[in-house]
Amino acid sequence: MRHGGDDASFELAPGPLVRPFAVTRGRAGKDLHELDIITLVVAVRPEADVAGLDREYGDILRMCQRRPLSIAEISAQLGLLLAAVKVLVSDLISSGHLIFRSPPPPTTGRPDIKLLQAVLDGVRKL
Amino acid sequence: MVFVNSDRTPNSSSDLSGVRAVKLLIAGGFGVGKTTLVTAVSEIKPLRTEERLSSLGTGIDDLTGVERKTTTTVALDFGRITINPEVVLYLFGTPGQDRFWFMWRELSVGALGAVVLADTRRLSDSFGAIDFFESREIPFIVAVNCFDGAERYDEAEVRQAVDIDDHVPVQLCDVRDRDSSKRVLVRLLEHLMTVATTGGVAAGRW
Repeated sequence: MRHGGDDASFELAPGPLVRPFAVTRGRAGKDLHELDIITLVVAVRPEADVAGLDREYGDILRMCQRRPLSIAEISAQLGLLLAAVKVLVSDLISSGHLIFRSPPPPTTGRPDIKLLQAVLDGVRKL
Repeated sequence: MVFVNSDRTPNSSSDLSGVRAVKLLIAGGFGVGKTTLVTAVSEIKPLRTEERLSSLGTGIDDLTGVERKTTTTVALDFGRITINPEVVLYLFGTPGQDRFWFMWRELSVGALGAVVLADTRRLSDSFGAIDFFESREIPFIVAVNCFDGAERYDEAEVRQAVDIDDHVPVQLCDVRDRDSSKRVLVRLLEHLMTVATTGGVAAGRW
């Protein structure tokens, strides 16, 4: 929600140092769905839903239509700190606008050979 | 393998079940060419994200009074390579300043491996990164960026100077060159395959 008379100052974006705490209303979030910097998220609600959302939520929903983006990419594109993006994305997961896929937690098992081979093949083809 | 997923059923156009993201780290001293390497191989113009220093590694959730604090952030440059429809690779250039080394802890969790980029004129700048990955048993290679005008060393001399185990590959490169940077990644991934098939440690354990 915007404060009518303050729009001008909102437009002077104070940058990533200040905005995250404003957009998350001071929350850093305890329940962040185990989001990692490379957690991928994608929208499962149409872009039209943006109309009912606060600006940053809408921006994220719009960016994630039809193609998965990582938390890192959302953070870079919106100019928001990773910590703030995790809170916002977490809210959108809880509200059913986004789904996510986090990397598996580190284990003491062997690395996934098939995955390594796929990455190696892909890089060789660059 | 266990994945952490949301429990909602994805629709057909937004299915994440077959997609996974992996990361490699590019570490080394300040100004050694980390972002140049990422730029050389990334399919996107490298992006920059920032993290708040006070939130790193500590899990601090209480932001009471944060508006009165001076907040410091640390920047990360990263690139992306779409390996195939199922796998996306992210390359993260770790912060060069030693005082931000602890940022690497969160970054390194789950990383497949790392490249320690070194400059022969300032080899000691890479010691911190080498120690970090050795202590966390994250497999890595050393890539020596051969700057114009820098004295050329051969692999054995570099290996001796940075005091790494014999099994750690050392590769000479010029990160401004796409093929050279690509060969660095190939060498790393070959090393990761070797470590994985010979019973090496898991990626990113710490």
